[in-house]
Amino acid sequence: MLEFCHVNISSGLVPILQDISACFQKGEITTIIGPNGCGKTTLLQCLNGASKVTSGSVFLDGADYFAMPLRERARKLSFLPQVRTIIPALPVKTLVEHGRFPHLGFARRKTNKDKTIVETAMNFTQITPYANQYADTLSGGIRQRAFFSMTLAQDCNYIVLDEPTTYLDLNAQRSFMEMILQLKAQGKTIILVLHDIGQALRISDTLVIMQDRKIAAIGTPKVCLKQHIIETVFNVQLKKFSDEDGSYYFFY
Amino acid sequence: MNLSLSIKYYLIKPEKYAMINLSKHERTEKILMKPLLITKKILSLILLLILCFFAGILLGSVPLSPKSVLRCLFGLDKETTTYVLINTVRLPRAMGACLAGMGLSTSGVILQSVMNNSLASPNTIGVNSGAGFAVMLSLMFGYSKTLGISAAAFFGSLVATLSIYGLAYMADSSRTTIILAGITVSSFLNAGINTIKLLDTDITINLTTFMIGSLSGLTFETLQFPAIAIFIALILSFLLARSINILCLGDETARSLGLHVTATRLTLLVLSSMLSGCVVSYAGLLSFVGLIIPHICRRLFGNDARYLLPCSALLGASFVLACDILGRVLFAPFELPAGILLSFVGGPFFLYLLFQKKGGRRVNA
Repeated sequence: MLEFCHVNISSGLVPILQDISACFQKGEITTIIGPNGCGKTTLLQCLNGASKVTSGSVFLDGADYFAMPLRERARKLSFLPQVRTIIPALPVKTLVEHGRFPHLGFARRKTNKDKTIVETAMNFTQITPYANQYADTLSGGIRQRAFFSMTLAQDCNYIVLDEPTTYLDLNAQRSFMEMILQLKAQGKTIILVLHDIGQALRISDTLVIMQDRKIAAIGTPKVCLKQHIIETVFNVQLKKFSDEDGSYYFFY
Repeated sequence: MNLSLSIKYYLIKPEKYAMINLSKHERTEKILMKPLLITKKILSLILLLILCFFAGILLGSVPLSPKSVLRCLFGLDKETTTYVLINTVRLPRAMGACLAGMGLSTSGVILQSVMNNSLASPNTIGVNSGAGFAVMLSLMFGYSKTLGISAAAFFGSLVATLSIYGLAYMADSSRTTIILAGITVSSFLNAGINTIKLLDTDITINLTTFMIGSLSGLTFETLQFPAIAIFIALILSFLLARSINILCLGDETARSLGLHVTATRLTLLVLSSMLSGCVVSYAGLLSFVGLIIPHICRRLFGNDARYLLPCSALLGASFVLACDILGRVLFAPFELPAGILLSFVGGPFFLYLLFQKKGGRRVNA
């Protein structure tokens, strides 16, 4: 369980979020949704140090997250950032191998176990055919999968994904969602930010809805729909379609 | 026609078939990245360095025979003039060249990685000038012990590195801005060097050779302290190779992977200042080694710092040795400082790199 207790977060020296409390259950998919600029990314970024927690605390499985050494954090929680300013000119395989960094000892030698994990991670996201290609020569979708593989190679129980599908086409988004569901089946805890509310409603166990730098609601998709929170927060109308495969939502 | 084509493709080994779709550039990259070839290349680099080192002792204004040189090097001969010549002139000089090449090119690799800028090098961002200015200052105050000069050079280059990096970081500026700032700081400090030299006529250093970089007149005594410092810094930076790789992924990713980004970056900047500062303290402002050697090595060995660092060190050492030898031999008995040769060879090469964009390995552009 990842727990935020009365956390104040600032980005640089600017305070952004105040007194945030939220809980992310183990083994579930929790999606944070909210309009642009409501502080979703800032909330998650404190986990990898890109934004600073000024007061309050975060607990990971009962242990104080910020008291842990960086390396131990990276062994428990992996993070896929939203924007990438640097695309390293490295072969995909080397990139994925970097995901093992927090697990390597001082000698930094890779064991057979590390190699197997890297291979599994690459097979999982189906980028093995691109193993020897350079990351900066790949298309956006495949590149995102390569970075996702790196995150998976960290082999953490908690996986945080900040808008993983924003720049992907529909098919790539769908396969990404399938991968996320598979990870949940493997017992991983997944926390992600999505802009596609339909997708969020379909795959998540819990929704965290943010508005104006505050948490507006936390609840299962069903409850959130019932109480018409999404309509008020995003200022939209909602239509529901159902057939034998499930329910679909349309916002306008 | 179609059938014959498919048969032809079929006959080619599967791995080769897979490479048909790749561009020529990608194919060479694929071949180059094989581990066996990397070992081979490292071995050949070591061999090259040994050759250059031996040639550096052998060639010069007084011709020596290979046999007598070998006898002296292995301690079989301790009385002849050859021994004295080798021990007091040629050996320290060759070692100095070796260390200068290693130090500057390793420093270049580190700076390029830390600043994520393929144009960074001790020379382009003004680090060498910082060291040179500090050396002149310490000479002006009459402090001329080698330990003091090396320490001054180290602090000079550290201050220059940190200020350039701090400026770039605070202004959140582009790669070009860092280089422009570096050139500005560099010329500012060079003006300082010239002023000190002109005002204080007691300074014994030869300004021209100091500004160009020269290895003549080295002794074991002047080399002692810089050698130890360079050696330590080299080993430490090789140990940090994997962290350098992680740093190149960008701050956020590196932090997610559990790397102390700020601490690592500072350590690396200190190490690179130590390397380039110590070289400047005895060899002057040697240019271009720190820029072109990392680039050549990136082409040959890829961007993996674990190979890149030792290979640049080896190749850099050979390059400086070779330039020093050329400078001694070309117009003998006159001697050109190594720095001139470095610029003669390095300048055109750098231009070539600048204008040949396609197929070049970028750092992280």
